[in-house]
Amino acid sequence: MRTLYSRIYLGLTPQRVLSILFLIVLAYLVIVPLFLMLRETFVVHPLERFQIPGSQVGDLTWAHWQRNFFSENAYAFFYRPLLNTLKIAIGFSLLALLIGGTLAWLVVRTDLPMKGLIANAAIIPYIMPSWTLALAWITLFKNQRIGGDQGIFTALTGVATPDWFAYGLIPITITLALHYFPFGFMLIGGALRNIDAQLEESAELLGASRFTILRRIVAPLVLPAIFSTFLLTFSRGLGTFGTPAFLGGPVREFVLSTSLYANLIGQRPGIGYLAAVVMIVLGVLVLYMDHKIIGTRRSFVTISGKGARAGLVALGQWRWPVAALVLGFILAVIVVPLCALVIDTVMLRPGIYSWDNFTLHYWIGDASLTVGLGTGEPGILRNSQLMSALGNTMMLAVVVALITGILGVLVGYAIVRMRGTWVSQALDQMSFLPYLMPSIALGAIFLAMFAVPRGPIPSLHGTFTLLVIVCTVSYLPYAVKAGVSAIRQVGPELEEAAVMVGASWWTRMRRILIPVQKSTYFSGMLLPFISVTRELSLLILLVTPATQLATTITLRYTDRGWYPYTNGMVLLLVVIVVSSTILSRRLMGTSIAKGLGG
Amino acid sequence: MGIKTRIRAWLAAGLTIGLLATGSSAFAEDWAQVEAGAKEEGALLVYSTTSRTAKAAENFSAQTGIAVEVVRLGEQDLIQRAYQEAASGVNDVDMIVVEDWVAARELLSNTGYFVNYVPPTAEKLFAERHKNPLVLGFINRVFGYNTDKHPDADPLVSVWDLTTEEYKGRVMIRDVAITGEHQNALTEWVRRSDELAAAYEKRFGKPLEMTEANAGLEFIKRFLQNDAIIMTSDTKITEAVGAPGQDNPPYGMFYVYSKHRDVPLQDLRVKESRQIDPTLGYYYPIVLQLSANAKHPNAAKMFMEYLGTLEGFAPWGDSPGVYSPNPNQVPFEGDMPLAWWEDHMWSYDLDFAAANRGLVLDTWLKYAQR
Repeated sequence: MRTLYSRIYLGLTPQRVLSILFLIVLAYLVIVPLFLMLRETFVVHPLERFQIPGSQVGDLTWAHWQRNFFSENAYAFFYRPLLNTLKIAIGFSLLALLIGGTLAWLVVRTDLPMKGLIANAAIIPYIMPSWTLALAWITLFKNQRIGGDQGIFTALTGVATPDWFAYGLIPITITLALHYFPFGFMLIGGALRNIDAQLEESAELLGASRFTILRRIVAPLVLPAIFSTFLLTFSRGLGTFGTPAFLGGPVREFVLSTSLYANLIGQRPGIGYLAAVVMIVLGVLVLYMDHKIIGTRRSFVTISGKGARAGLVALGQWRWPVAALVLGFILAVIVVPLCALVIDTVMLRPGIYSWDNFTLHYWIGDASLTVGLGTGEPGILRNSQLMSALGNTMMLAVVVALITGILGVLVGYAIVRMRGTWVSQALDQMSFLPYLMPSIALGAIFLAMFAVPRGPIPSLHGTFTLLVIVCTVSYLPYAVKAGVSAIRQVGPELEEAAVMVGASWWTRMRRILIPVQKSTYFSGMLLPFISVTRELSLLILLVTPATQLATTITLRYTDRGWYPYTNGMVLLLVVIVVSSTILSRRLMGTSIAKGLGG
Repeated sequence: MGIKTRIRAWLAAGLTIGLLATGSSAFAEDWAQVEAGAKEEGALLVYSTTSRTAKAAENFSAQTGIAVEVVRLGEQDLIQRAYQEAASGVNDVDMIVVEDWVAARELLSNTGYFVNYVPPTAEKLFAERHKNPLVLGFINRVFGYNTDKHPDADPLVSVWDLTTEEYKGRVMIRDVAITGEHQNALTEWVRRSDELAAAYEKRFGKPLEMTEANAGLEFIKRFLQNDAIIMTSDTKITEAVGAPGQDNPPYGMFYVYSKHRDVPLQDLRVKESRQIDPTLGYYYPIVLQLSANAKHPNAAKMFMEYLGTLEGFAPWGDSPGVYSPNPNQVPFEGDMPLAWWEDHMWSYDLDFAAANRGLVLDTWLKYAQR
């Protein structure tokens, strides 16, 4: 058995050649930016020289590190924001896991009604920008502290919300969890779908309680997916800026990303990038934990040569109450914010909610300087610039999803099947690093790296290709994580059998590894796809007039308070992403009835 | 950045002074060449922090047939991008419309990547101090209050009022940490500490007792310790201050006055303070600069000329709080002319701001958390 198994890897097999190739490419796209960023933290930049006595621009210095970690104000500058960041990142990741995992289990493993609707709706919170939920929270729960109109909750109940509930760490944690739970829903859903129901049935026969089954069988089997989800959400939480700034400012609670943004805006990149380095280190620590816990276990093969369909857990009398609860949840976190966006796009004068203020002007109107906000812009659907930017976004999203999807399978395969070798480890860790780099820093570094020809690489400045490369590198972890957990679940005996009948590597991939796990790969592609449609800070330095994207072009409306346009674009993206998801699930046969794409 | 860039910067500065010294007669002769050259150059690329540049560009193109592409970028993004591209020898952008001149000057002008240019209209009409760097317009930021609560009189007498018990937890400001211009403006409070301290004594009849090094930093500390509310958007601040029907409305500090454009539209009850001592807020320039290696320098020069005319400035002229240095510009209804604001508001000193804004930011970050 062992010899046959290892025969697959001996010699210059395709996956070996591929692995070496990936390693070289990743080294350039990951290690070089990382090194460049680290170097910045030791350099004196133009506006930094005034605070470092006797220094010249370009000098090497320890001053940024000293200021951050050891100075008199280190607690205020660094440690306190760090503590807040950790509280938020851990808190919201766990909450997101709980929500996403529960929903995934309900949809995949129970006889819950209306699964299709729930499965499709559950990805929407991640498509919408996270500020929509933060804004919704404020609209609902704000109190007198930040003035303006009354919060809806207070208006209805007459009870003023306390500051700690209206602003600060608690709402930040909750709104981020509501934004990121789709990660867990998709990844854990994919893992659950592949659990052989016979395992559960046997346990039941042996008299195990439902809770015991969940704890002893289901939980361990989906553990890799759970850790992947935690890793992905936690790392995102470290760098997130908009929501914490918006909800934390009123009670003056700040996070590490404030330090990054404040110092970049203050033109002290040395100090700013130091915050980014800390975020990366924290991410690497979690990655390391993930390896320690998951990497040492091998018992996750759930797809064996034997065919088995998952049986569904009957919810019995709880079926409808649970469905009502889930629908209520979806209504609250998806439908209501979406409706608020819709309403804002059809109000001629913002904030005045009456029927005679209803208009389609911002959707289909002519350019006018006298109607409504007097923007002088044609309505969204007739605005050729907006439409072409939307086209660019969708094109980028599709290309990146396809490339990351393919790479995810290949890299995932290499990592799993070469387990124990340094190549596997290096690939696994390197492919995850760009995800840990705050996008505002990554964008700037890629701009510098690709502006001029370097060696065999031509200048990619201003090209669509550069956008594709940057997004692919940045979102590869989603696909790789999906690829790894998918291939880990497939027992080697399937491949061994194929090898015995003389199937080539390519045939094995095409006929076995891809088809049996296609829904997991699909969700591995879905996340990059969605992420691209809403990416801004990573790409803002790289787009040109010809490659404007939906997010970058709407900036020009945001700063003038022309929210009907910004919100309209968000809505269009939601509609396009959701419908293309449904469509491609149909086409790929990862239909929701079978469990939900993953 | 080594000695070479320094030399380049000095050369650029020398060149600019030389250009200015040649006088306007030489200018008039050159201009025909500029126009002729512009027609042949074709599409111009502009990075801009203000979205209205796109509107001005449309008008300009319609008139001259010269196409202009405008990429809208945030302050920091624009400086970062222009700097990185120029440093890498990518010279796509011809011209920038940029804020936070303190940072932009350090990274873009002193490095020699971008140069100043004074087109004919500006040369003829603008005050000398608005020519180098060439100013597209000024923005001002004000203190504001709710007129339902204070129907008769402006409640704000001194900036130090904001540090008193009465204003505890009632003053909003856009986060200084993420607003480069706020950082610049507060360096002026450090530079003019004596005036600020005098204003304290005038208001309370006793000298200011300080634990910080000067009155400017002392203000930052006391302001934050008085439970200031930190926001992320000026729009939200204006709405919060001005929403009708509030028992205890907040006050706004340093929000852009141009948001008052929406006052009638949203029925806001907000007014800017016009008596607060020693400064009504601050004003700062939006600066125009030409790439030193522009591929379409003449087209860029023509666009700069256009932006200095009343017609070119029109997209900015439809709200209060934005002022052309062109003295023929009529203030927006209810607003005062630029000269009035210059008399009643502080701006900032470029060199002092560059040297001290790190200190301001650090003091802010030190006290920003409760």
